[in-house]
Amino acid sequence: MKTLVLGLGNPILSDDGVGIQVAHEVANQLNNPQVTVAETSAAGLSLLDSIVGYDKVIIIDAIQTKEGNTGQIYRMGTEDFSLTKHFSSPHQVNLVTALELGKMLNLAMPQEITIFAVEAKDITNFSEKCTPKVEQAIPEVVKMVLQELNE
Amino acid sequence: MKKITIDPITRLEGHGKITIFLNEDGSVANTYLQIPELRGFEKFSEGRIAEDMPQITQRICGVCPEAHHMAATKALDDLFHVEPTSTAKKLRELLYSAFYVTDHTTHFYILAGPDFVMGPDASPAERNILGVIGKVGLELGGAVINTRKQNHWIIQTVGGRPIHPCFGLPGGVSRAINEEERAKIEEIAKGSIEFAKLTLKVFDDVVLKNKTYLDMILSDTFTQKSYNMGLVDKNNKVNFYDGKVRVVGPDGKEFCKYAPREYLEHIAERVEPWTYLKFPYLKKIGWKGFVDGKDSGVYRATPLSRLNAADGMATPLAQQEYERMYSTLGGKPANYTLATHWARLIELLYAAERLLELSRDPEITSPDIRNIPTATPDEGVGIVEAPRGTLTHHYITDEKGVIKKCNLIVGTTNNHAPLFMSIKKAAEDLIKPGVKITEGLLNRIEMAWRPYDPCMSCATHALPGQLPLEVTIYDAQGNEVKKLSQGIS
Repeated sequence: MKTLVLGLGNPILSDDGVGIQVAHEVANQLNNPQVTVAETSAAGLSLLDSIVGYDKVIIIDAIQTKEGNTGQIYRMGTEDFSLTKHFSSPHQVNLVTALELGKMLNLAMPQEITIFAVEAKDITNFSEKCTPKVEQAIPEVVKMVLQELNE
Repeated sequence: MKKITIDPITRLEGHGKITIFLNEDGSVANTYLQIPELRGFEKFSEGRIAEDMPQITQRICGVCPEAHHMAATKALDDLFHVEPTSTAKKLRELLYSAFYVTDHTTHFYILAGPDFVMGPDASPAERNILGVIGKVGLELGGAVINTRKQNHWIIQTVGGRPIHPCFGLPGGVSRAINEEERAKIEEIAKGSIEFAKLTLKVFDDVVLKNKTYLDMILSDTFTQKSYNMGLVDKNNKVNFYDGKVRVVGPDGKEFCKYAPREYLEHIAERVEPWTYLKFPYLKKIGWKGFVDGKDSGVYRATPLSRLNAADGMATPLAQQEYERMYSTLGGKPANYTLATHWARLIELLYAAERLLELSRDPEITSPDIRNIPTATPDEGVGIVEAPRGTLTHHYITDEKGVIKKCNLIVGTTNNHAPLFMSIKKAAEDLIKPGVKITEGLLNRIEMAWRPYDPCMSCATHALPGQLPLEVTIYDAQGNEVKKLSQGIS
């Protein structure tokens, strides 16, 4: 099974870079030729381009919810996106739409997509570092991603 | 006073908020635009080595990293006082042309298309790319994906990495291309030209042949007579990668033409108390408020402005389309905001044609890709046309090339004032006493904004960043009358 672990975010925008940091750490700890670990700051259609051709995709990103606690980790499946429609993109094609488009055009879409999202505090100030509580969550998310890969 | 807020503006980069206050009689009293911006980039860049700027600045934006990479690379040429080799310049422009093909394609089919193909009154559930593809056909949908994919291959091959190139160096680029790669690029360019022609035909069939849309384009509601800015080559033809910045008045006459180093003599920024956005304007005319016309320093930097600011296109097919557009719109300059979508497609065709020209250039596979800088760095300015407007990077360093000061004027920033004015005008014209405020009406107000394709805090896509814009209308008593918040859960 071809699997992709994709860290999503902006590595110089504080907590927005958490997905990319997790992906780096997963790449360091993983030794499995079936799994590709990548990072991207793009979303929407570019995100679609990235995931086409994989059977299983694990995405790691930052999230901001109304009453979430900084550093909180969420595991979500595609059914959650259709409820929340939260996956946005710089070109306003959210992940749900991108996936529907892929199906419509008969592209080789992944059968399974899982998202690990970390509640972010700061996503507007430029910094290469996450805020402390998000930083602390990174090893836990890495563990969860590795577990997911072993299932 | 009633208040209307449009939050979020859908299908746009970043999060915007339009708030409209109504009078007792239901007419518009005031309109405000709020756009959140990322903070602290200038500070973030201080103390870093200048050579890192092409890598760092492209992370500012998730939509046009290639534009920042290129402006930064050109600023480094200037900073280190080194002229890139001829092949290096051509490779940069080649990559940049491929980038334009992807970006303009995305804009038309994802952002602009839904309003016209599905119609401004279509429900938001249909007014999106899926609706568009459903209507124009799966074959064209496949062509959109394929054109993007192939041009991304060019960016990756020439730039060394997908999306975020790592090839721009002061004095040149990091890698040459071989004959096999060149031949593939040539084939992709040919296909991209056909795709651009097809897209212009879609625009013809869907928009121009529909009298309602053509009337809308030509209506006063979507007209703004401001100055036009765009980069031009030595023949005053549109150029995305290099040249001088030319500014042409609403009367079509050249107002000024400046080299990158001179930008501060021509551009100043206005700060307003109600927003932290900056509003650049033409310094020599001055800030006269949010008004258009020859006496106001407000200028636009959009695809249409670039065409208005130039004397034509440097490639044959795009030039034909350029002439056809102006003859349809009744001459130059065209001040019709919605015609920006048309101009963008002409630029798409130009980018594809330029890509083909460069792929056939005898120098393009030359290994002579870099001049090594030897001078001491001090100060540099680089300007390119980003898809969303003129992009200026300005760095000041110490003698070791460590950044002391960094100033950026990004594409969208140029358009803050005209964008605000376009929305205000559309709101005032469309919301009248007794007119029912429907979702279709609010979408038409958003349509005044979409041509600018403003790219706000676009690098931020943490969930749930729905790139939102919300329009909220409040009545004279401050009660919420109507709220349009597509995409917000």
